Amino acid sequence: MPEANLLIRSARLLAPGSAHHNQVRDLLIRQGQLTRIDEPGRIDYDSSGPVLEGTNLHVSAGWFDLRAHAKDPGYEAKEDLATLSRAAAAGGFTEVALLPNTKPIVQTKEGVQYLRRFGETQLVTLHPMAALTLETDGHDFTEMLDLHHAGAVAFTDGERSAWNADLLLKSLQYLAPVGGLVINRPEEPTLAYFGQMHEGLVSTRLGMKGLPPLAEELMIERDLRLLDYLLQQAGPKPRLHVALLSSVGAVELVRQAKRRGLPVSADVAAHHLALTDEALTGFDTNLKVSPPFRTEADRLALWAGLADGTINAIVTDHHPHDVESKHLEFDQAEFGAIGLETAFAVANTYNAGQLSLENLIEKWTDAPRRLLGLPLPVFEENKSLNLTVFDPTLEWTPTETGLHSRAKNSPFLGITLRGRAVAVINKGQVEVFRDYLKIPSA
Amino acid sequence: MTALSTRHLLGIKDLTENDLQLVFQTADEFKEVLNRPIKRVPSLRDVTIANVFFENSTRTRLSFELAEKRLSADVVNFSSSGSSVKKGETLLDTVNNILAMKVDMIVMRHASPGAPHFLASRINAGPHPANVINAGDGTHEHPTQALLDAFSIREKLGDLVGKKIAIIGDILHSRVALSNIFCLKKLGADVMVCGPSTLIPRYIADLGVLVSHDVREALRWCDVANVLRIQLERLQVKYFPSLREYALYFGINRQMLDELNKEIVLMHPGPINRGVELTSDAADSRHSIILNQVENGVAVRMAVLYLLAAQN
Repeated sequence: MPEANLLIRSARLLAPGSAHHNQVRDLLIRQGQLTRIDEPGRIDYDSSGPVLEGTNLHVSAGWFDLRAHAKDPGYEAKEDLATLSRAAAAGGFTEVALLPNTKPIVQTKEGVQYLRRFGETQLVTLHPMAALTLETDGHDFTEMLDLHHAGAVAFTDGERSAWNADLLLKSLQYLAPVGGLVINRPEEPTLAYFGQMHEGLVSTRLGMKGLPPLAEELMIERDLRLLDYLLQQAGPKPRLHVALLSSVGAVELVRQAKRRGLPVSADVAAHHLALTDEALTGFDTNLKVSPPFRTEADRLALWAGLADGTINAIVTDHHPHDVESKHLEFDQAEFGAIGLETAFAVANTYNAGQLSLENLIEKWTDAPRRLLGLPLPVFEENKSLNLTVFDPTLEWTPTETGLHSRAKNSPFLGITLRGRAVAVINKGQVEVFRDYLKIPSA
Repeated sequence: MTALSTRHLLGIKDLTENDLQLVFQTADEFKEVLNRPIKRVPSLRDVTIANVFFENSTRTRLSFELAEKRLSADVVNFSSSGSSVKKGETLLDTVNNILAMKVDMIVMRHASPGAPHFLASRINAGPHPANVINAGDGTHEHPTQALLDAFSIREKLGDLVGKKIAIIGDILHSRVALSNIFCLKKLGADVMVCGPSTLIPRYIADLGVLVSHDVREALRWCDVANVLRIQLERLQVKYFPSLREYALYFGINRQMLDELNKEIVLMHPGPINRGVELTSDAADSRHSIILNQVENGVAVRMAVLYLLAAQN
């Protein structure tokens, strides 16, 4: 429902740096621009126009997802860019960074431009990430400078780890002069062969091959050593981002590295903040994710890592699959879960006071943009807006029919969650979800 | 205590101790039947059972089929090695096709852990849910094997409370080991697992079992040694250097048994790799109840089928 004009009534603004931060305000929006912001009730408004009001509305910079699988081109039966964009908007995301694991892999200017061009017509901005190595197989470089200048916001082999230490080292080195970010999802492949779920008591009871935290931690240690090695020489600083921390040990490695001053950052997927391997006893393939759900101690360590700044950002790791890839025996099913529409609600629901709402929102807003060197949205009159309106107390239950994503592989179907986006505004377009919009009868 | 607590037999994990005792008591009766001149009873007349085997099996399939026929059930067999997915049809489609032909019970062996659970959860949604019996799901469970093993120990040594059972071999890839551990612990036995350290799951002690890497120590400790087949076909990556070395350091021979100077019960779920985990003179010694296990397998499977059919 695109709305040219909109009055958002009595919303609390979460915008650090703005004079209105943490204040309840009315916002008048025309053609996607903020025309007035003031204390509640002070703005004269044409009473026939649309009004957004609720009991507990909040407004923040538009949410940014640092990690989602596009599936388009190549796997459109799972998700295409249109369904992905709708799912993102419905989940409160105005910008999404896309992994290169499509078919073909995003490793050429054309690949980058296909994604960017589609995003140009949408409310949701799509930011392509390009492959670090050709075909993401770790054997040869992609043309990273060319891709960087074509608009690739980061370099990663996505769901595959950068196993080749030499290529990773040189990529960090090569991209440092242009400030390029290298993202690695750490997993030593030889320690993860045929693994299906977290290695522990639950996998033992289920007779399933485990994925030990060691596989993740060993590669993080290696990557940190590579960074150390590069920092010993003068010159521009390389930047490494560790994706999808999932274990106590992984969080601790990044924490110590940051204390030593290494240029490293990290993220966590929202679903890892909620679930543990205990949830897998029923062999539900929607819970088959990589890295796997680990133990309660690991889950709490991830929250602690967010709270003390070890973990910079929360991501959705949105990974759509069709039923043909999921309604299978557990070891035959693909890894991955969708998350764009549930990620905020999941993190918000399972936040047991570790983070203030303001800090939680920062993990989706300023943090990812800073990592990618992208501009932060501003709340200034007569400036184009990039914002998300949400209610952190609204309860709802994800269902297969209620989700906008083409894929339905969510671990949270049927589970009541708290918190939901109700509107997003970006690039002059306004999208309002649910029945929060009140249009007075003529 | 006349009915099971479950309508499928997916794993020992889901059974109560009462369930186990009920199976044993029922199997006692069927074992008596099997030793009569006329071995057939009409209990499952007009019940159709499909044996669906996605993995090779000789004795388990034969044992189920005999159990079914002794109960007068109508039996159909489907077997296909390798995953059904690679064949182009999903497991669910294959089974739904079989069920569409009005089958009442499905006995399934499959290489994927949890495959029977997946099936049971999908079948339960239908109007006339069939009973699912797990005849081995990958490295997860093999419940009827554990039941027949416990039944055979009970027959030989009486009540299992406090009995010491050593499970020796590839514990990591063994559904027999896992189901045996669950079963024996529920019955009050003490369990030790023994094998090369790479073939012992890292978290196995948390299941309440002792761990040893010394076969002689395990033999000295136990009342019963259940020796497992080295599952070379299930090893996707290398866990030990060679069968020769395994036989030298983890194999059991007659001399080792004689040196114990005690009564010991020797078991094996079959098929035996003679000369690897067991030498022939050990396998065929007076300690061995390996063929009793096979005989009891039919009685125990009759009991399971009979009790599950009674749930409908």
